[in-house]
Amino acid sequence: MSDIERKRILKVVSIMAFLNIILIFYLTYFQIFQAENIKQNPYNKRLWADEQEIIRGSFYDRNNNVLAYSIIGENDNIERVYKYDYLYSHIIGYSFREYGKAGLEKTYNSSLIGNTNTIDINNIKNLIGNERQGNDIVLTIDHDIQQKSRELLLGKKGSIITMNPKTGEIYSMVSMPDFNVNNLANEWENIIENPNSPLLNRATQGLYPPGSTFKIVTALSSLQNDSTDTDYICTGSIIVDGYRINDYDGKNHGNVGLEDAFIESCNTYFAEASLRLGHDKILETAENFYFNKKIQFDLDLKQSSFPTNDMTKTELAASGIGQGRILVTPLEMLMVTSAIANDGNIVKPHLVSKILSYKGDVIETRSIEILNNVGNYNDVKKIQDMMIDAVRIGTGKNAKLRDITVAGKTGTAENSSGLDHAWFVGYAPAENPKIAVVVLLEEEGATGGRSAAPIAKDLIEFSLQKLN
Amino acid sequence: MKLINFKTARNLLFIFEIISLSLIFLYNWPNIEINTIYLSLGLIALVYVSNVILLKLSKGDNYIFLIVCMLMSIGIIMIYRIDPNLGIRQLQWLYIGIISFFITYIFFKFYNKWDKHFELYLAISYILFFSTLFFGLRTNGSLRWINIGGLSFQPSELIKIIFVFILACIYSGKAFSANSKFDKHKEIITLGIVYSFIAILFIQRNLGASIVFFAIYAGIQYIYTQNLKYTIYNLVLFTFGGFAGYFIFDHVRIRFITWLNPWEFIDTIGYQITQSLFAIAEGGFFGTGIGRGRPNFIPLSYNDFIFSAIIEEMGILTGIGIIMLYLIFVYRGFKIALKQEEMFYRIISIGISLLFGVQTFIIIGGVIKLIPLTGLTLPFISYGGTSIVTSFIALGFLQGASEKDLNGGSQNE
Amino acid sequence: MFNILSILAKYIFVFIIYMFIFLIIRMIYLDINQLSIEKNLNGAYLKLLNRLDDLQYKLKDSYSIADEITLGRSNDNDIVIKSPYVSKHHFKIVKDEREFYIEDLNSSNGTYINGERIYDARKLKKGDIIKVGELEFMFMDMN
Repeated sequence: MSDIERKRILKVVSIMAFLNIILIFYLTYFQIFQAENIKQNPYNKRLWADEQEIIRGSFYDRNNNVLAYSIIGENDNIERVYKYDYLYSHIIGYSFREYGKAGLEKTYNSSLIGNTNTIDINNIKNLIGNERQGNDIVLTIDHDIQQKSRELLLGKKGSIITMNPKTGEIYSMVSMPDFNVNNLANEWENIIENPNSPLLNRATQGLYPPGSTFKIVTALSSLQNDSTDTDYICTGSIIVDGYRINDYDGKNHGNVGLEDAFIESCNTYFAEASLRLGHDKILETAENFYFNKKIQFDLDLKQSSFPTNDMTKTELAASGIGQGRILVTPLEMLMVTSAIANDGNIVKPHLVSKILSYKGDVIETRSIEILNNVGNYNDVKKIQDMMIDAVRIGTGKNAKLRDITVAGKTGTAENSSGLDHAWFVGYAPAENPKIAVVVLLEEEGATGGRSAAPIAKDLIEFSLQKLN
Repeated sequence: MKLINFKTARNLLFIFEIISLSLIFLYNWPNIEINTIYLSLGLIALVYVSNVILLKLSKGDNYIFLIVCMLMSIGIIMIYRIDPNLGIRQLQWLYIGIISFFITYIFFKFYNKWDKHFELYLAISYILFFSTLFFGLRTNGSLRWINIGGLSFQPSELIKIIFVFILACIYSGKAFSANSKFDKHKEIITLGIVYSFIAILFIQRNLGASIVFFAIYAGIQYIYTQNLKYTIYNLVLFTFGGFAGYFIFDHVRIRFITWLNPWEFIDTIGYQITQSLFAIAEGGFFGTGIGRGRPNFIPLSYNDFIFSAIIEEMGILTGIGIIMLYLIFVYRGFKIALKQEEMFYRIISIGISLLFGVQTFIIIGGVIKLIPLTGLTLPFISYGGTSIVTSFIALGFLQGASEKDLNGGSQNE
Repeated sequence: MFNILSILAKYIFVFIIYMFIFLIIRMIYLDINQLSIEKNLNGAYLKLLNRLDDLQYKLKDSYSIADEITLGRSNDNDIVIKSPYVSKHHFKIVKDEREFYIEDLNSSNGTYINGERIYDARKLKKGDIIKVGELEFMFMDMN
């Protein structure tokens, strides 16, 4: 055999080996980067094949009221039944072959059809039993509070969420407008084309300027950095780099300290405060509150953001009062409020409390998870007191209850629509918080104190009665 | 140290077969005929005994048959799982295949005039080709089958092997007498022969096979031509032919379009490939487990798309394992060539290795959408009598070539 | 029940397939190693024709012959073979003026060259097959 022949044979072998290695690499690449997406393609018959044979698990609220379940209907077809047309359209969502999946039906699909990936005893029992029945999901939702929340928001646009600030259990979460999950076939076109986007879950997917509710963050940052001005004179407006920042209705608050400024929601004070603090300090405090961070939640959750790149002086001043480029989800503002209520500890919010096998064995439970501590007790305590006073004698008076101390903060956020968003965040009872609430009225065109605070008041009163 | 030997490898194969067989019987329980059990246990025994015998009988390569047995076992399990009736038929084909392997091997070893029948090889090829063209059956748009006495088979599968012999005759200088007119122009003549084959395959819409023929030719030509310019001509010509085919034939264009974006045509021409991708995506790294996936959703899951079906239930780790097994197999084929001292047998080994290597690359690359999909079987794994038997015959030749005239002919003759 | 077995089996299958691949690659590697040893032999050597795996005792693939080499069961031989069919001192090969001669050392089971039993010294030529008990060697001379 000549040398040249040997060399060429080796070259051909190398090409063959190379081709095979490409195959291996491509397969691996496909599996890691593309497979997950491709699996979710609605044309993948496998997505639905299992469901024709498996009785999908049910949803329960915290008091074991059934909310959604499956039955074997005519022709042995398995049918999904949603007990409430509108009430859970954004939480539980829907699962239909024609329209796909949304809400918890989507994120908990594999649990519902019994394919939990974790290998534990119950899962193995399920496999051995060869039962074609999925797992049930118990929510942290209280059906009555959920219903009350929806009633209060009916006819408006926006979102209400209530949660236990110490455990992160969400009692109610509504987003308006919503839609009828039992009538998608007739309304699908309308739902899709509606400019108010009923499919959008505003509680987790809507991003809004927080307005004055953000002053909780600015105030805490000021306390933490010993940057409070006890002797500020509010003239109703200030001019930063040529731009004028006004107080609401140009009101002149006179001589105010941090407490008075917070209670009366004095914009000029907080604009000056954030200029004094500087970008880095506020950003740090905001990130302690989980701005710009990913939070694992049971539903898809948009990330709330505080600008990280350079800001102009005007933008910095505006961000102190929750305007400018800050964007938050209502759930994020609820977490901020809960952190104050919980003496500085942010807990992770959750909607699902337990996953049960069809026999009722507990497969998975959620426990309290503290994400972060936002500040020391003394500073947080001062914010708590200011929030109590804001409801007692300040902008949040409309949230005041006779027997229960409510703490809260109002917000009125300017936005491009021209109609302000109205905010109220708060918790009660202030001495031992049992519920935290966020009310957001989108494009309400009224102040948070006037429109959002009364809703919060009713809801808090109702919920505390219900929870006791 | 003592664990690394053939016995361990053989036993692993045996364990694999026993476990997978038990699992598949459990899956189909109780719809299993006692005959099927005998038949499959018989095959396991045959595989085991064949490996033992071959180790004693052959002083040549000991790996290729063992590797093929593993591939074949994975294949039969999957086919039986997809469709028990096809599985039973495949079982029978495997018996015939293994027996053909031994017959070919012994015949090849003891008959020494394989390089003397160039004209005969050529004649048989053309006869088979033209009989397919005239008497062939059309399935799925392509003309591949002929029917002889109630038994249909794909002549192109057989011609692939004869084609290797034709090239071996030509490039070892046995086809034409030296210094004759033919010999001077042998590159041109070869080109003519090969392209006539490719043209016929094109007309039969057997694109996959035409690429395999071309690749075998290009590989052997590259190694043995006196003048590399012919290889370049050949490449240019094939590329040009490919472009021409794209514009002339709809079926070529469709394959290309569905490769670029199958999702757009998911209901029609992109259906096959997207179903294959769903199956692969579903499989993940370890697969769903045998009997727990839905390979039946893939069209031709037992044949061209068996690789996707295997991945769905046994995972891409098994898929990668299969690719590695083919890679080792092809490497061994070339190794046999490098050891072989006689040129004719060397070219036979190279040709057969290329045949298996290229065919697996084209079909695996096709079903995972790395390259455009062309219909081919996955050697030793896909369902199909012709494919199995001709693959085993080719394996027999390779086994024979691994010990032909070793050590200067003193050993075996 | 089937489900759980199938899930178990899929891990076992992947394990077996990769174990199988590992074994084959390892064996090929050992093979190539031996080939490269063989390449270093440039004088005369004995090449073992039996498969190493089949033997119950340790042997090399090939033995190079310098001037003299002896084979037998006892440990003072150059090639030691712990086989009952091999005598304590079975045969020796000696070099004499570029030629190699093999001599049987009165072994009980004999030494065979190309199937023929030898009783006295005999000249070796390239390709001769030497049989001792169940072992077969080929005599190779590269000069």
